Amino acid sequence: MRVVIGEDEALLREGLSLVLAQGGIDVAAIAGDAVTLVQQVIEHLPDLVITDIRMPPGNADDGLRAALELRAARPDLPIVVLSQHVQRQYALELLEGGSVGIGYLLKQRITDIDDFLGDLKRVLDGGTVLDREVVAVMVERARRTDGAVESLTPRQRDVLALVAEGRSNAAIARQLGIAEKTVVQHTSLVYDHLGLPDSDDDHRRVLAVVRYLAR
Amino acid sequence: MRQIRPSTLERPRSVALVHVAIGLVLLVALEVVLLVDGSVEPTWLILAFPLMGCTYGAAGIEAWRRRPSNRVGPILVLGAWAWLLAGLHNVDNEFLVVVGQFSSTLGVAVVVHLVLAFPSGRLPDVTSRWIVAAAYFTTTVLEVPLWLFDPDSPALISDDPSLERLAEWTQRSIGSVILVAMSVVAFRRLRAATPAARRVLGPVLGYGIFTAVMVPVSANVIQPLTGMDPITLATIQLAVLAVLPFAFVIGLLSGGFARTGELVELGVWLGADVDRPELAVALAGTLGDPSVDVAFWLPDQHRYVDAAGQPFPRTVDQRRGYADIVLAGRHVGVIAYDATLIPDAELVRTAGRVLAIAIDRQRLDAELRASRDALRESRSRIVEASDVERRRIARDLHDGLQGRLILLGIRARRLTDRLPDGDEHTEAEAVRAGLEVAIDELRDLVHGVMPALLIERGLHAATEELVDRMPIPTEFAAAEAIGPLPATVESTAFFVVAEGLANALKHSGAERMAVRLDMIGDDLLIEVSDDGIGGASVANGRGLRGIEDRVDVLGGRLRVDSPPGGGTRMSVEVPCGS
Repeated sequence: MRVVIGEDEALLREGLSLVLAQGGIDVAAIAGDAVTLVQQVIEHLPDLVITDIRMPPGNADDGLRAALELRAARPDLPIVVLSQHVQRQYALELLEGGSVGIGYLLKQRITDIDDFLGDLKRVLDGGTVLDREVVAVMVERARRTDGAVESLTPRQRDVLALVAEGRSNAAIARQLGIAEKTVVQHTSLVYDHLGLPDSDDDHRRVLAVVRYLAR
Repeated sequence: MRQIRPSTLERPRSVALVHVAIGLVLLVALEVVLLVDGSVEPTWLILAFPLMGCTYGAAGIEAWRRRPSNRVGPILVLGAWAWLLAGLHNVDNEFLVVVGQFSSTLGVAVVVHLVLAFPSGRLPDVTSRWIVAAAYFTTTVLEVPLWLFDPDSPALISDDPSLERLAEWTQRSIGSVILVAMSVVAFRRLRAATPAARRVLGPVLGYGIFTAVMVPVSANVIQPLTGMDPITLATIQLAVLAVLPFAFVIGLLSGGFARTGELVELGVWLGADVDRPELAVALAGTLGDPSVDVAFWLPDQHRYVDAAGQPFPRTVDQRRGYADIVLAGRHVGVIAYDATLIPDAELVRTAGRVLAIAIDRQRLDAELRASRDALRESRSRIVEASDVERRRIARDLHDGLQGRLILLGIRARRLTDRLPDGDEHTEAEAVRAGLEVAIDELRDLVHGVMPALLIERGLHAATEELVDRMPIPTEFAAAEAIGPLPATVESTAFFVVAEGLANALKHSGAERMAVRLDMIGDDLLIEVSDDGIGGASVANGRGLRGIEDRVDVLGGRLRVDSPPGGGTRMSVEVPCGS
């Protein structure tokens, strides 16, 4: 696996390189600003792009905009976006921007090396990974404003959150210590309750849930 | 500014003006009848004299009415009389012909008078007074020998042609000297005038000089040399003379030269309760000098300020006059004026005495404004500086410390993973877990200093994010018209929203809240409302006081509408202009 990194902070570059080396991932190029990132991706055609959101030249959401630009050009290019803070709007923009393979994580998740490498792998395989914090904010917000979410059981809400984070049924079962069959029961109940179409396509499933939560 | 009521003093003057107008009209009518009756010349040309009487009269009465204390109007009315009298020259009555002859060149003297008395209508110095006196003398008294020695005159006393030539020569020579003297004085005044005054004075005086010189020169030099048809010549002369009163009146009314010397209007203005900053404007109108300005003396700060409290520079310029304003022996300010336009400083000082109390009152206002502005500026600088500082701190923490902690976290994780279970592993795991907590805390700290979204996406996104995290249902609406805002406005607005929501959560017991952002003209409107217990006020809430302070620095306003039991609506307007 070859990646191109967009990161302007030396310490984080070092940290990312350490983690990726541990995962046996080749770093094709590291760009220190959003413009160079796009150029490097076009030049190296990596399997995966990892980028920080706040980067030069604007030092605003330049990295996010570069990611959206890349996804608009290549909707199947897997991208993991890192940020100091996770927000609903950014998550939604990233999910709407392409069909598969997107990750949106807090920067500090890099320190959980194995989990982070696992997340990269899932994104590379076309999966979706949303940081648990942004999902928690969305579910909590939906619970306050939406009667349907409010009336779910706590366990159902846990399942809903894990679906939104991009977990597969098997992973949800592992995480909650329940049988995968039970997870399937939970999810179909939740979908019925919220009026969402059930889908085998992971990305669609996440997109539908996140759209629902973010509305 | 409220319209100034006409003073009671003005009413008799209007009545008098009506009388003057009626008198002129009757005289014109009488003269027209006389002229049409016994004329030999083309009627239209002899009718030119009453016509001139009309133009001078109309222009003069209008100027008199609009600028009651300016004497250009009366001089023009005098001109009307001169032309009407000159017109009698052509009637079929011996006595009236003498009168007409006697005043045939009086109109030229009136033009000299106008040129030298413009714009105030008063002759400002001894030279011009002598010149004007000489002009009237030459056009009246020196006419006497002409008709005494003219063979065609009914008053002929001697038909000696040399006497007639001598009389003619005397009048022309003195007349020429007068015209030259007038031109020199007028040119000098033009040269000394400020550029602004010159733009108005130039065309008017230029036309006046041209007229005064053209009429005698064309009759006595050009006509004899070229043998021009006398009718054509007379037509040209009359046309040039007819336009003259309008040139003076337009110059007078548009040039800002007004109400010179008279303080009645100023008194009227003082009686009316108009905005005080208009003081200088009223004074400018009264003194007939558009450049008049009033500066106020701040004894504590040893400097002059204008009405807005801004520093007032006292320039060293010969053309700028400064008249001190003294109230009860105390120096309260200064009136700055155009010394070339108002040569008499006493006039300005008199105006200053009339206005002293008003000026002193305005001085206190200006003093207050000056100190308030200074205070606001310094507070604004502090807030701006602290805002910049917050952004810098947030950025530094984000860029430096956070990256370092994350790198340490990665190393701690690798170390933990490598160590076999045991004390060392437990120790390393504790370090790793501690680092994770530190990273979380740092993230919260950075967010508290300056939310990432405010830096990355601005107020709208940051507010949306803030509202997302509220523990009770909170609506958010923002107008699309909100464009990019200055950084300080964004920070302040975010602070207002965050504080407003925190206040509502803490004190109101609300079940729902709402945030609205909108533009009202150039002002950003921030509205935070809730359905709680109400009864909030700036006086009893420390949070609201903080918001008020913050908003006040940017020149904004806070309004709190919070009836007991009726929820709270806090509206803040912040100007977004530079």
